Amino acid sequence: MTSVMQPESGPTGQVAMVFDLNKCMGCQTCSVACKVLWTREEGEDHQWWMSVNTQPGRGTPKDWEDMGGGLSGGKPAPGRQPRREDFGGGWDFNYQEVFYGGKGNKTHLRPVENGDNTTSWGMNWDEDQGAGEYPNAYYFYLPRLCNHCTRPVCAEACPTGAMYKRREDGIVLRNEEACLGSRFCMEACPYKKIYFNYARKVAQHCIMCFPRLEEGVAPACARQCPGRLVFVGMLDDTDGPIHKLVNEWGVALPLHAEYGTGPNIFYVPPLAPYRLHEDMSIDYETPRIPPEYLESLFGPKVHTALDKLKTELDTVRSGGSSEILDTLIVYHWNELFGEYTTDPASLDRSPASVAVQLTTKPAG
Amino acid sequence: MEREGTPSATVSPALAGRPGRTDGIDEYRRRWTWDEVRWASHCIDCYPGNCPMRVYMRDGKVVREESAAEFPTYMAGVPDMNPMGCQKGVGWTRLLDAPERVLHPLRRVGERGEGRWERVSWDEACTEIADAILDAIEEVGPEAVIAPSGCNLGTLALAGRGKFMDLLGGITTDLNAEMNDFAAGYYMTWGMFDPVSSIDDWFHSEVFLIWFGNPAYTRIPHNHFIAEARYRGCEIVNIAPDVSPSAVHADYHLPVRPGSDAALALAMCHVVVAEGRYDETFVTEQTDLPLLVDPSTQRYLREADLVDGGSDEVFYAWDTATQQAVAAPRGTLRWGAVDPALSGTFSVDTLTGVVEVTTVFDLVRERLDEFAPERAAEICGVHADVIRDLARKVASKRTNILGSLNAASKHYHGDLIERAQCLLLALTGNWGCHGTGARAWGAGFFDGLLTFAMKTRRGPDETAAVLDMRDMMMKAALDADPTLTEKVWSVEMARSGTMGNMGGMVPPVFLWYRFAGFRDIWTRAEWHDASMPRPFDEYFDEAVAENWWAPADLPGADQPPRVLIECGGNVLRRTRGGSQVLLEHLWPRLRMVVTMDVRMSATAAYSDIVLPMAQQYEKVGFGIPTSHVMHLTFCDKAVEPPGEAVDEWEAFRRIAAKIESRATERGVGPYTSGTRPRDPRQIHDAFTAGGTFVDQEAIVDEMLRDTALAGTIPAEASLDEIRRRGFFRWEGLGIMPRAVAQATEPRPDETFVPFRKHVEDGDPYPTLTRRAQFLIDHPWFIEAGEHLPTHKDPPASGGDHPFQVSSGHNRWSIHSLNTANKLMLETHRGAPHLVMNERDAAEIGVGDGELVRLHNDKGEFRVAVKLSPTARPGQVIMYNGFDDYQFPGWSSPNNAEPGMFKWLHLAGGYGHLRYWATEWQPCPVMRNTRVSIEKA
Repeated sequence: MTSVMQPESGPTGQVAMVFDLNKCMGCQTCSVACKVLWTREEGEDHQWWMSVNTQPGRGTPKDWEDMGGGLSGGKPAPGRQPRREDFGGGWDFNYQEVFYGGKGNKTHLRPVENGDNTTSWGMNWDEDQGAGEYPNAYYFYLPRLCNHCTRPVCAEACPTGAMYKRREDGIVLRNEEACLGSRFCMEACPYKKIYFNYARKVAQHCIMCFPRLEEGVAPACARQCPGRLVFVGMLDDTDGPIHKLVNEWGVALPLHAEYGTGPNIFYVPPLAPYRLHEDMSIDYETPRIPPEYLESLFGPKVHTALDKLKTELDTVRSGGSSEILDTLIVYHWNELFGEYTTDPASLDRSPASVAVQLTTKPAG
Repeated sequence: MEREGTPSATVSPALAGRPGRTDGIDEYRRRWTWDEVRWASHCIDCYPGNCPMRVYMRDGKVVREESAAEFPTYMAGVPDMNPMGCQKGVGWTRLLDAPERVLHPLRRVGERGEGRWERVSWDEACTEIADAILDAIEEVGPEAVIAPSGCNLGTLALAGRGKFMDLLGGITTDLNAEMNDFAAGYYMTWGMFDPVSSIDDWFHSEVFLIWFGNPAYTRIPHNHFIAEARYRGCEIVNIAPDVSPSAVHADYHLPVRPGSDAALALAMCHVVVAEGRYDETFVTEQTDLPLLVDPSTQRYLREADLVDGGSDEVFYAWDTATQQAVAAPRGTLRWGAVDPALSGTFSVDTLTGVVEVTTVFDLVRERLDEFAPERAAEICGVHADVIRDLARKVASKRTNILGSLNAASKHYHGDLIERAQCLLLALTGNWGCHGTGARAWGAGFFDGLLTFAMKTRRGPDETAAVLDMRDMMMKAALDADPTLTEKVWSVEMARSGTMGNMGGMVPPVFLWYRFAGFRDIWTRAEWHDASMPRPFDEYFDEAVAENWWAPADLPGADQPPRVLIECGGNVLRRTRGGSQVLLEHLWPRLRMVVTMDVRMSATAAYSDIVLPMAQQYEKVGFGIPTSHVMHLTFCDKAVEPPGEAVDEWEAFRRIAAKIESRATERGVGPYTSGTRPRDPRQIHDAFTAGGTFVDQEAIVDEMLRDTALAGTIPAEASLDEIRRRGFFRWEGLGIMPRAVAQATEPRPDETFVPFRKHVEDGDPYPTLTRRAQFLIDHPWFIEAGEHLPTHKDPPASGGDHPFQVSSGHNRWSIHSLNTANKLMLETHRGAPHLVMNERDAAEIGVGDGELVRLHNDKGEFRVAVKLSPTARPGQVIMYNGFDDYQFPGWSSPNNAEPGMFKWLHLAGGYGHLRYWATEWQPCPVMRNTRVSIEKA
């Protein structure tokens, strides 16, 4: 098992993920798997370190792509701190009133507004709305979590030095005891995937399930994804599917690479059904999802990535074989997870033994 | 800044690996701890469900759950089924202590539905319930006690309610009509509605028609097989009026006009036949298409037409070798030396003289002429070239029609749509081999559930006797009639009510018509198809007078319901036609409404007594046994239920105990219900088999051992064994008719596809003609012009209104189980919503998130709109499952859905058109309801 000790020196590496958007059905199993594991405490109600949004859409927090942050010309770009109402959610509901209030059908179950404007948005408010015109409407699902960037501008912006990038796996973490709640990290992060805990007055974000990775277990979102679409592994593992998909075949791309932070979450871009002409015959020429929209998310390489996927599909449809598509099929589920294939049920994680482990670890 | 080249793993030196920085993150290591792990699943009707999970516990409490993901690869070259689960399942733990949870027996102190309650003891609650039941028996009879059949019954609920209602002689309504999940057109064709392949078999498909389904919402753990089949070369075609969430990953989206799908399917059939692309061998062997028919009567040529005293169930084909009509064998699909003509006109000597006959194929072909692609395109809106291209693909590739189950059945003319789909599959040889077929929901295999109910003591002896008796009966029957097969015999046994009728279910149509206010709705001719030639009542009366539904035509007109026990469902939420009708007509007749539930449902809110039930992880149970997933999946009891909650077996046991003592005190019983004597003074003794079956572990252990004896799970199966393994894979079909009817022996190293015995061995189908049947020559069907597959436009159900409201299962809940779950509510807008096209919204002046009022001649409801170009203009989508109390005034969309059903489905007295549990019966529909919409 990986040591819990933070080495001063030693191997460096970067854990990365590839999400195959052609398998994602927007079910939020990843989001809920994350939430029930990490954000159930007070102050974490509205936090969804993992979330899936319908694209095109305003996403979560609302209009995050317009909030700035990241790097411009190698220097930090101005960014806006997302407000509580931009995230929305974390609602209370009037259960007691409806079930036991004696009002019968004069009231009904609904989120209760507490004067904080949170009931007008949520983590998935614009689910399945999409864009375009019927019958050529289009959308796809985009799962998002912390990109554990190669250049974590969030950490650079932290005035107390509470944030750091772990040497051995590149996970960006925060010493919450040192965090003073300045929220500069939230301004700096161009992906707006950092939340503020209003109860504890600290910022929080996806920790890449580091306690699980330390035990060889894949992150909760990836391991429970019923779409089998989340690859996890070390980016420089040249035998692993991530390296092949990202570097060898170029079919997995970072989101908004132009933000400049070197995100380590990659996406296989979405195909879409053929468009229809006005007379309902099939338009084989015009892509249903405007290429410029995809380019705005995944950069100009998205076109070659999609062309490659289409070529491979043509190959298998005419009886050929494709290593790329066989990789994306994932014949054996554990092939998704590189070295992180341990079944958590096989571990001894009793609070007592973990406490012993933590108190006896070598001083950092 | 545009980053060039491959990402590098270099880390800013100032940030990398600073010493001492692990402080402050240990808390997360502490959060990920547990001291015990148990197998779990969710034994509810997210059909097919059966997701193996583990619950992680700490200090005697369930902390969370996680997909187990322990399936091996069964078939080489096919992806495994890991990790099954969904967002509801991986967050189920929250429901254990949710505010909607009911923890104590509650008695209403205000008006029904008012929301004023008092806590009572189990003893008080059971006493009141027992007395109400005994009153009903004394005043009306046991038929006055009704258990409407919801579908979220776990194992203990199914066993407990089944045995309780059986011993009482009360009425349990058929769950398939309650849920509207009966595919009548598949039944008419195959004599069963539910051939079901395993989800991993989808991987073999070359063309996937997502048709009347939205697997992205409803097949979350299985959807990957569609994506993976695509990566293997399969083409995905989504056929739906809206650009549905399942169109996102399709290659083609065909925006069909709502309810016009039969025209699309028949147009494809037209292309296949006109271009000579049909599989002549397949249709000649498997179907009735070569059978001879008199075009003047549109009826099959029968032995009775040729021979005095001849059979009504012997049919003929024209043998081109001997140039004569030859009786079709009933015991096999194989024609032997006979070479049947698929087409032609032939002269036959009948008792009434020479008759010119033709084949069903020729009649079908003539009918298909009405659906040439250009003509059909005008009806269904799909371009003729698209129809041709798709038809040619279907004819040359392994094609799979996937409804989630089959939502076509939720359309008034769903039967016609399904028959047209079946015709397309038949003409192209697309069933009975890997990667093909169509499906509804299947169940069976878990034979211990059946045998357990008959046992008086533990151990294998009685079970072995039951199994031996069954084999002896079958052998005797097959010896007496060599045309029978195990499948045909099993299905006929079920139709005769001898076996497998699931605790004496009855079609709910009689309850609804006689006592629940539906007669006023169903007799509105303008909401039926215009081709219904006679008033609805005439059909109803004829069906009753002809005894087509006896003895299941209960309750009788003189048996008004008095007590309603809802266990495992939410009848007010789910009933098409809405809670309003039930509350106005049925509820006032009821002296006692009891709801057993884990949570406060709409039905619970309108009950007199609510009894708190154990949740998942608080009792043992199994997922719905089905070939869809090929596993029996176990959910262990990890923790004690909180408060005073108990499992359903225990709840029924407590009521039975109180009935026994109150009946003795009051001197009620014995009495006869049906043909069986019953005695309420001994009902608890009978329920528990003299005290043998009280403990839930003993019950499920017994079921497992019995099931092993029946041969569908490993011989060593027991509670201890499944606690170790979590699940068993099916090894055989067992004895339940619906499983036997799948007609394929499960193989350990292959994906499952039904109907192999028909296609590979020539075994007959359980239909009138013993063939997949496209001509239904019942006089009602001929009268309606529906004896052959055809298309009819949907009737204007709800009145003349500009919008059509459509529906479907939502993404965020299993029926209404999770709709009030805060965790799920957070993943959408926290409230019900109506999907509407932006252009429609602009016309009525409503913006995203604003409230609209939908109304028609039946009723109304209000809901917020969600605008999207994915919605077809003129059609709005109201995903179902939201509970009544989530809508203003508690008026749900069901109140605007008339809940019509097609009158033809009352037909009987004809071959396979006979009721058996979950099969042939009228089921209300709700799609294509017409509404007007305005800003609220």
